[in-house]
Amino acid sequence: MVQIRLQNIGTFSMGDIKMTDKVLKVKNGDTVASVNDLLKELLKSKKVQALLVMQEVPSKAMSFPVLISDPDKLNSNVFAPVLPVSTATIISKITKVESASKPIGVVMRSCQIRALVELVKLNQANIENIVIIGVDCLGTFPVNTYSDFPEKATPTEFILDSFKKKSDVVKYLRSACYTCKDPIPSNADIIIGLYGMDPQKELLIQINSKKGKKLLEGIQLEVSKDTNDREKAIKRIREEKAKNRMEFIKDKSNIKGIDALAKFFDKCVNCHNCMKVCPICYCRECLFESSVFDLEVNKYIGKAEKKGLFKMPSDSLLFHTTRMNHMVVSCVGCGLCEQACPSDIPLMEIIIPIGENVQKEFEYNPGSDIEKKVPMVIYKEDEYQEVGEK
Amino acid sequence: MVIEMEEFEPKIVGFLCNWCSYAGADLAGTSRIQYPPNVRIIKVMCSGSVDSVYIMRALLEGADGVFIGGCHPGDCHYLDGNYKARRRAVLLKSILETLGLEKERIWIRWVSASEGQKFADTMKEMTEEIKKLGPNPIAKHWNI
Ligand code: SF4
Ligand code: SF4
Ligand code: FES
Repeated sequence: MVQIRLQNIGTFSMGDIKMTDKVLKVKNGDTVASVNDLLKELLKSKKVQALLVMQEVPSKAMSFPVLISDPDKLNSNVFAPVLPVSTATIISKITKVESASKPIGVVMRSCQIRALVELVKLNQANIENIVIIGVDCLGTFPVNTYSDFPEKATPTEFILDSFKKKSDVVKYLRSACYTCKDPIPSNADIIIGLYGMDPQKELLIQINSKKGKKLLEGIQLEVSKDTNDREKAIKRIREEKAKNRMEFIKDKSNIKGIDALAKFFDKCVNCHNCMKVCPICYCRECLFESSVFDLEVNKYIGKAEKKGLFKMPSDSLLFHTTRMNHMVVSCVGCGLCEQACPSDIPLMEIIIPIGENVQKEFEYNPGSDIEKKVPMVIYKEDEYQEVGEK
Repeated sequence: MVIEMEEFEPKIVGFLCNWCSYAGADLAGTSRIQYPPNVRIIKVMCSGSVDSVYIMRALLEGADGVFIGGCHPGDCHYLDGNYKARRRAVLLKSILETLGLEKERIWIRWVSASEGQKFADTMKEMTEEIKKLGPNPIAKHWNI
């Protein structure tokens, strides 16, 4: 069995919460519309110049992040249980060269905030003038489940409902969400909170930073009275996810040895989608997309003569093991790699235990602490001596 | 009839840093210190420049061992390349361990330019240890 350790999650200072917690009253039981009213208000009052937020496409088959500046066109759905692309990657792409001149609000799930924090630390994103609006995550469904949802309710209705009623939502969740490291956003400027609340009645609006405070200045919100329920609910969900994660590692992650590993990747078609969608794989041109590993024909023949035969292209395992070495310390467990695989290889079965063990080794929890340096750029002179000189 | 089994001779790929280990290997050679011929040496500028992709490629192509030689801690020509190489070795070994692959096939050691004898001894030791492990099972896989 793979050993895992529960990592401490985010920063949560009770003092702040008591001082700054607000609630958003939900009108007519319409949770999605009430959040939209708040977001429109932010645009109208010019608190933000634009918002990056999930909005359903006209067919309603999918929700995508849209960058929106016109409040009248805003019809977002921040609870849509689907993650087609990484919002962290989008922020990285648009802020890498220069930061936004005026504040942009970005509505994000916890895994995407964690990814963004890692990208900032890797000098791949600039969050000056980016206001992070975190939303408590209830989990997401695979893209196809979301678009062809088999229930009567819409995916959003179903997930918001299940949150209260405890239905069988689990069977639709992506494995990344089932085993999520922490569905509560950390490092957000404000949080739209569901846990411990009744989303048909009110949502928590928690202010976590100066940016967040400024964002909500002048916006009508009531002060929240009691946060006990929320604390309990957060504790419960974190424990549940940690348990799922441990069981997942125990039951599903038993790829051991070269035979099992080769078999695991047998269906890999070398498309590199898993790398392209990964928020942590930030290189503009991946080594494996270049011609570095292309030999000329006579070298290949030489290799064939030596081995008898070999599969072509021949760098599938090299690609996967190298990718893991390059990014897994910062893997935030969003599962986008698995979702993007055309061959349905359950990549999380390998990524979760490897990430867990590597991050434990370096005592590193990706996305939790923006000040803490990524492990591969630092060292201690007297560490790991047994590795260098046994 | 007696069939003589050929003894297994491991193939080891050695990445040696230009400033210390490579010079150490050179010294072993010029001083005629004997060491097993199992290591194929690749000169690199610093142990810190050996990305995991090179190590993995050697292993996946069927090398029985990979050796990374760098300057002693504190002596790296580029100040801290060897400390970073050491962290990367820890990372790689952790990944291999989780995947049930043999992390013992990867060695990282410090050999200075004046340590010809140490280089030869380390090569002897590593060759012996890899012989005990036997051939790299990855070598027979053609479907990776
Ligand atoms: S490796 Fe997969 S789970 Fe980890 S950050 Fe990248 S896409 Fe997300
Ligand atoms: S997305 Fe799937 S098929 Fe494509 S490279 Fe990754 S593992 Fe292979
Ligand atoms: S130059 Fe020798 S280890 Fe860096």
